[in-house]
Amino acid sequence: MFFLKEETKVISLHPSYFGPSVREYLINRLNEEEEGRCTGDHFVICVMDMVDIGEGRVIPGSGAAEYTIKYRAIIWKPFRGETVDAIVTSVKPTGIFTLAGPLSVFIARKNIPSDIKWEPNTVPPQYTDHADQVIEKGTSLRLKILGVKPDVAAINAIGTIKEDYLGPL
Amino acid sequence: MFLRLPASLHYPITVTSLLKQPGDPVQRDEALFWYVYQTIVTEGDGLGNKVEVKRSFPTKFESTVDGEIVRWNVTKGDVIDEPVDVVEIDEPCAHEVQFGGLCAECGKDMTEATYNTEVMDSMRAPIKMVHDNTTLTVSEREATRVEEDAKRRLLASRKLSLVVDLDQTIIHATVDPTVGEWMEDKDNPNHQYLNDVRAFQLVDDGPGMRGCWYYIKLRPGLQQFLENVAKIYELHIYTMGTRAYAQSIANIVDPDRTLFGDRILSRDESGSLTAKNLQRLFPVDTKMVVIIDDRGDVWRWNPNLIKVSPYDFFVGIGDINSSFLPKKQELENPNKPIAAKAAAAAAATDNTPPEHHVNGTTIKPELGGISALEQLVTMGGGDNPRLLQEQATAQEETIMHQVEDRPLLQKQKELDAEDEAADRPDSSQSVDESQDLSRQHRHHLLEDNDRELYLLQERLQQVHRNFYEEYDRKRSRSLGGRVAALRGEKTQVKEKDVDLKLVPDVKDVMPQIKRQVLGGVVMVFSGVLPLGTDMQNADISLWAKSFGAVLAPKITSRTTHLVAGRNRTAKVREATRYLKIKIVTTQWLVDSLTQWKRLDETPYLLPVHPDDRGEPISPDSKEAAESAWLSTTDDETKEFWTEDEGEGMSESTNEIFKSTGLTEVSPIGYDADQQAAVHEELKEFLGSDDESESETEAPGSEQQQPPVTPSKKRKRGDTDEEGDEEDQDQDQDIVEEKDQLSTVPTGGEGGEKTSDAHASAGGGSRLAQRIRRSYERSTSLKEVATASSSSPGRTTTTITTPSSAMDVTDTPTPDDGDGGGGGDDEERPDPGAASVTYPEDEDDELEREMLAALEDGDYDEMAEGKIAAENG
Repeated sequence: MFFLKEETKVISLHPSYFGPSVREYLINRLNEEEEGRCTGDHFVICVMDMVDIGEGRVIPGSGAAEYTIKYRAIIWKPFRGETVDAIVTSVKPTGIFTLAGPLSVFIARKNIPSDIKWEPNTVPPQYTDHADQVIEKGTSLRLKILGVKPDVAAINAIGTIKEDYLGPL
Repeated sequence: MFLRLPASLHYPITVTSLLKQPGDPVQRDEALFWYVYQTIVTEGDGLGNKVEVKRSFPTKFESTVDGEIVRWNVTKGDVIDEPVDVVEIDEPCAHEVQFGGLCAECGKDMTEATYNTEVMDSMRAPIKMVHDNTTLTVSEREATRVEEDAKRRLLASRKLSLVVDLDQTIIHATVDPTVGEWMEDKDNPNHQYLNDVRAFQLVDDGPGMRGCWYYIKLRPGLQQFLENVAKIYELHIYTMGTRAYAQSIANIVDPDRTLFGDRILSRDESGSLTAKNLQRLFPVDTKMVVIIDDRGDVWRWNPNLIKVSPYDFFVGIGDINSSFLPKKQELENPNKPIAAKAAAAAAATDNTPPEHHVNGTTIKPELGGISALEQLVTMGGGDNPRLLQEQATAQEETIMHQVEDRPLLQKQKELDAEDEAADRPDSSQSVDESQDLSRQHRHHLLEDNDRELYLLQERLQQVHRNFYEEYDRKRSRSLGGRVAALRGEKTQVKEKDVDLKLVPDVKDVMPQIKRQVLGGVVMVFSGVLPLGTDMQNADISLWAKSFGAVLAPKITSRTTHLVAGRNRTAKVREATRYLKIKIVTTQWLVDSLTQWKRLDETPYLLPVHPDDRGEPISPDSKEAAESAWLSTTDDETKEFWTEDEGEGMSESTNEIFKSTGLTEVSPIGYDADQQAAVHEELKEFLGSDDESESETEAPGSEQQQPPVTPSKKRKRGDTDEEGDEEDQDQDQDIVEEKDQLSTVPTGGEGGEKTSDAHASAGGGSRLAQRIRRSYERSTSLKEVATASSSSPGRTTTTITTPSSAMDVTDTPTPDDGDGGGGGDDEERPDPGAASVTYPEDEDDELEREMLAALEDGDYDEMAEGKIAAENG
């Protein structure tokens, strides 16, 4: 699910950047460092705006300045039970690896409808029900997240397509 | 599943009541039954006294899994003495497939641990099964299921699995930017060989080498090879390169992914940086797997392995991804185009005595000496993170060095320099013209004449054929039996299982083929491996043994082949006495191993120097028996002392006992001449760690020095440049070898040399005088030989000449037991023919060292002068 979240970040700046364009520099730094980051709990999708760029404080002893920036960002936190669209990255006899944006989701063989079977002899290998449903590398899938596990700088998730309206798009 | 009691309970325990009945659902950590246990506790009695009393405590046992009770194995009142299965619980999900710490089927967190956790749920699925992902793990059962499916599929399409290594097996990669320049430069002599070299850039391949360009040369015939082999094998890539590297290579060799698909395993997923493990890809069984790799050691000589000869297109680059691997035991490949060409060129221009160049092979004892210990250390250190870090840095450095140092450019420069040097003397043209000329026929460094893949394809086809022949045979036999027994459709259901049981094992099929190749060959190595190498476990030995050859430490009547790394060793001499022993070069062995054929030995026969021909002994004579069983002859004794190529210690002691015992009592073949030799040998042995060696080699080398150097120079002048390069190579090697040696012998040698100088100058230290006196006393015969070999008639020289010249003087009276000792040297008819007598390998080391010192004129003089100054 997506949220608009207010966060703060402390950026320390080398004295060589002090000057009239310090504001732009801070904004660039913030965008670079935050956008696309995974905290382990959520993904930062986009920094929307700066609520407040605080006054810089020079750190005694180093000369660098610290800016505390309050900003709003769109974040995405995947939840169990959420339905997302994903792209297949590889298919294996044990299941399907997909990417839903930044989130890697694995669909185990048990969570694939039983009529969609593993077909290793095609190139590339695929899951197919020998009708209109073919899942191979690059296919778009709609899946439901069964479980989410935060890691240090990544999130792993388990998905299923064994429900109505799920499966290849 | 059955719930087993943990070992940590206070046994015996008594079950007092069962809380759940069959059919009841249970949650994790929910109580299943009450029990009572007894233990001794310390109690206070209220008066300050402490008493130990035995008490019973009631406790409940809690479930460690979710599910539904199926059946109790215990009833109320049971006394349990040891861990047993108490209850069967039907789990809704056995968590057999896990992804990043989650059960991939039910989505539960597998890393949760509570007070009640005996074994983490994540341990239920320990096997990494997927090539390109390490977060997915499966249980053994699931792995078996998947693998069986795969096997059935392979059997149905009559294929096998083939694990393919990349570096130096099917491609050769370098980061040397010189390659890019040569590809641009149409005038470069190497240009035409680089036509099909592909390049790619890896942007994020670790820090320090961002955007490094990789140049990839496909092994000749690769495309054809892969296409043909893919028809009968399912191909997998297993490389020690990074993921990105492997992907890029796959893009080159298999752009539409029809051959490899995404069956690519790189070191990022391998789990070990020092060894390759077939279980990583085929966790359950490897019956249908064949491996091709240029390194046997990383697979620990897995029986599924077909070792291929390494592809070395970019000369001197090696494997760019091998920093993590244990060092390679480099057996010098004499088939290298440069060496072969050099040999041919040298033979043409220099009218070298033919015995040095056999079949384009230079007889050059050159081996990268890597001790087994060092290997073990590298192998064992695989898990140490600090070591890994170091190795990662080392790898980075290798890459950086290659980018900066441009080894190829250096080599080509050398080659060009040789060219020019060769041109100059015989062309009286102006400098400009001669440069133009030399540019026209500048020699190219790179050669593209590798044929390995064609041979490899045949071998793979052969293995495949044999495998399926065996399978068909088994299958038809069992089908017939079953049809008779059962009849009807029932068999159809079972057929699948039966199929799998009938699958023959590549581990049986392949060795069968291989063992026929060198079956019945009993070989002895001489001058093949460096001293101190564990002969039975060296790469070449293991390789040969996998082909059925038997490796013996010494020559007996059973020996069929003597594989000689160089000519004129004591073993060669001995082998000549047995008519049936074929004395062949190392190349014979290597070629036979790579071609899976017992090649005809004739082109590989080592030309034996006439002097070395011992008196033939017929296999059934008394002497043969003696030499085989009792080793009484001097030859044997001598060999025992000198050629210690891996004889076991216990065997040695035994030998000593035998030989000493017999020399005292037995009169056979033990005349005065030989007695002197034995004494000398003994003396040499006893005094080997002080100055004793100088007595044999010192004055000779002093006398030899003048003739050697000019002859060498003369050769430089008129040889083809490649001969010279060869020379330089060798020199370099010698220097390297010298570096490898500990400083002690080097220093000792220097000292000796100094003393020689003094001795010959008439002055000198007391030590030197003593040495000289002992020399005169013990090897007066030598001087005759020295005189003859340093006579002016000596015009033709070869690469090995300096060492041979020294040999003459260094040799401590080599006697063949029956052919009169030093007489050998005396009667040598052709002094120019490299009279290489390698009496012992230790001497060889020293010789090479000294040779290096001689070559390096400046250094030598300086060093000598310095030492002389020190000695006064």
